[in-house]
Amino acid sequence: MTSWLICRPCDRGAKVRRHEGARVLFLVVLFGVCAIAQSLDPSALTKPTPDSWPTYHGDYTGQRHSKLTQITPANVHQLTLAWAFQTNQSQQIKATPILVNGVIYITTPDNLWAIDARSARQIWRYTYPQNEGFHIGHRGVAVYKDFVYLTTPDAHLVALDARDGKVRWNVEIADARRGFWSTNAPLIVGNHLMVGVSGDFDNLPGTLKSFDAETGKLQWTFYSTPPPGTPGSQSGGATGGQMWMTGTYDPALNLVFVGTGNPTPVLNGAARPGDNPWTCSIVAINPDTGKLVWGFQASPHDTHDWDAAEVPVLVDGMIDGAPRWLLLQASRNGYYFVLDRTTGKNLLTAPFATVNWSKGHDNDGRPVPDPAKEPARDGRLVAPNEAGGTNYRSPSFDPTTGLLLVSAHDAYGIYFFKPEHGSYGWAGANYSVWGKGVLRAIDYQTGKIRWSHDIGEGAGGAGVLTTATGLAFSGDSAGNALALRTSDGTTLWHAGIGRVGNSPITYELDGRQYVILGGGSALYAFTLPVSP
Amino acid sequence: MLQAARSLAEALAAAEHRMRRIAYVIVTVIFLGSFLHAQGRGRGQASPASVPPPRSTTSQTYPADQIAAGQRLFTAQCGFCHGRDAMGGESGPDLTRAGSVAEDVRGDKLGPLLRTGRVDKGMPAFTLSAADLGAIVAFVHDQKTKAESLTGGRRTVDLADLQTGDPEAGRKYFAGACVKCHSPTGDLAGVARRLQGLPLLLRMLYPAPGRDGSKATVTVTLPSGEVVTGRLAYRDEFTIALTDAGGWYRAWPVRQVKFQVNDPLQAHVDQLGKYTDEDMHDVLAYLQTLR
Repeated sequence: MTSWLICRPCDRGAKVRRHEGARVLFLVVLFGVCAIAQSLDPSALTKPTPDSWPTYHGDYTGQRHSKLTQITPANVHQLTLAWAFQTNQSQQIKATPILVNGVIYITTPDNLWAIDARSARQIWRYTYPQNEGFHIGHRGVAVYKDFVYLTTPDAHLVALDARDGKVRWNVEIADARRGFWSTNAPLIVGNHLMVGVSGDFDNLPGTLKSFDAETGKLQWTFYSTPPPGTPGSQSGGATGGQMWMTGTYDPALNLVFVGTGNPTPVLNGAARPGDNPWTCSIVAINPDTGKLVWGFQASPHDTHDWDAAEVPVLVDGMIDGAPRWLLLQASRNGYYFVLDRTTGKNLLTAPFATVNWSKGHDNDGRPVPDPAKEPARDGRLVAPNEAGGTNYRSPSFDPTTGLLLVSAHDAYGIYFFKPEHGSYGWAGANYSVWGKGVLRAIDYQTGKIRWSHDIGEGAGGAGVLTTATGLAFSGDSAGNALALRTSDGTTLWHAGIGRVGNSPITYELDGRQYVILGGGSALYAFTLPVSP
Repeated sequence: MLQAARSLAEALAAAEHRMRRIAYVIVTVIFLGSFLHAQGRGRGQASPASVPPPRSTTSQTYPADQIAAGQRLFTAQCGFCHGRDAMGGESGPDLTRAGSVAEDVRGDKLGPLLRTGRVDKGMPAFTLSAADLGAIVAFVHDQKTKAESLTGGRRTVDLADLQTGDPEAGRKYFAGACVKCHSPTGDLAGVARRLQGLPLLLRMLYPAPGRDGSKATVTVTLPSGEVVTGRLAYRDEFTIALTDAGGWYRAWPVRQVKFQVNDPLQAHVDQLGKYTDEDMHDVLAYLQTLR
């Protein structure tokens, strides 16, 4: 590792640089080259091939940016439907499709389909047995060698044979009877299969577990809020801080970055004095040990359900004229953060959505909650509302323009708490008043908003994908898939496919570039027309 | 015999329900009285009773095993939005206070609603067997019955909680910010009789378009010069649509027409960024005087 850190500054000439060659070699050496051609070697996750989308964010950086260039601002208006895949479920698709070896794996709660990425023909389907867990949504699968992994509403982790969907093993991540569930798309680093859970209605410790990807054996457990009596317990009586979103990974630092959820009890802050680390935080964890290396709290002492679970985007960029290894996050509390990902030191804090709950930020870049905006007996009008300034739908970073495109949400909610609400679970009441979705392009160095593109009243919109030709794909509140020009937000293409509830992906197969978006409960693939 | 037993059980339940209701009102009046006493200041108004949720129009009881089955289904399918106890969650309302539940009799309202969904409000349609639907309905009604007997349960906001404003300050604020569109002797005359407590507060902040659609109107000028006016029916980046005087939906590509939207609710949106919490409570206190 040391030689790597010394090597790094040599190739930092570019304004913005992604993880490249030498690191891949390192991982190939580390994990060995997989002998089975059809299976996914975990080292491929450092430099995915153009015909794949092998992990939730497409790669380890969380940039959700593709280097594919066939679809351009000049021809995007010609996009046509290649195929549609109807899940016939009542729930909308919230999952990112995962593509390996020409096969797309797409999920809804309890359901996993393997379909042909060229035609949408179903290869196999797996249905998890009926269970009493929370069926709120599902983010997608993870793939390792010839394994596919599905998390379940009753907080189990099921390993399937990628060939036919047969179950190889099934382990419990956490006890669903205590109120845990899982929607998580696991993150794979080497043979570590890292899986998070959810659980806001009960006072539960924030739990991230790593399993051996081959055997399902537990490797380690990281607690964002260690249970009482556990070494390192320091959360001020808070529980919560669930890590329900997929993290990102820097192979050179060997650090996994994960956003943690809000504390519980959710609205009753008096029951858990202090900052409640590491809730509403970005934590850097060593994937080999599960030990915390550093943490940064995006919302100290949160009382509004604004978890910091949003994607920690890794960018090698410039700040104040110096090259830095950065971590960017547009957080649910309405603030954009830039951190040095080697240390967790904050470099920039700036709002990107309407906020009225803080009194600025402290010397460490952490917003300072205004006590007057904590939930109260007679109600407090707070921006943003519970859905937040953004949510699980991914942002995208475009290295050419230096813009982080975020599905933002300007909104107001009203928050109540009185002692009669108690100190268990939600412990309060809150109601959304009004909101509208806006796609915002944030200058990653300054936090300034370069452009905003309204996407309609109501909840926020879709996740964002950018491509190397200067295109951004997303969706609006009315149910249109959109292609915008990344540099200025101009609309270049749209198609009414129903509400896009996931984050788009793209890949190239047989010389054709496809863009995939979920519209309602169906998956749609768009491509440029070819002659019959 | 079975029928008679059931009728008796229902009659007893209804009697118990009435007793509970009376007890509830007594309790809340006592509570409110002591609250106002503790505050040391009345508001010059008759003491309003705390607002209970809308009562079920028809008292209903269900077998325990059906309720239990419904609870399992509700937790899995409905809990995240409406809360595991049906008393409200991240994105769905408190069903124990919902009019649709109060008016429902054994699924006659909830059944169609569940099967079609309220897609515009983010609620999907559900494909449910009659047995599963019946179980969910049983659970929701049972939760409603339980909620009606609660006096300080989680997630409740009582009328007494909302009495911190100054009606005179609210009257002055109203005279500056609200009179352009509203009148205490016109559209808002008697508003405090129609709405109380949290529903009045939420409506005051943003009277979200109801089932009858948007309050906005739009005037569309066609390339021919023809002018069409109606209620705004749909709008996105690409399409503008209205419902005309004859009740017909009419839509145009935005690039081919000129249009002007008049949305009276925009003033409410603008106000959200201007209210202090004190202003908000004062205006609410003033609206409560419009009885």
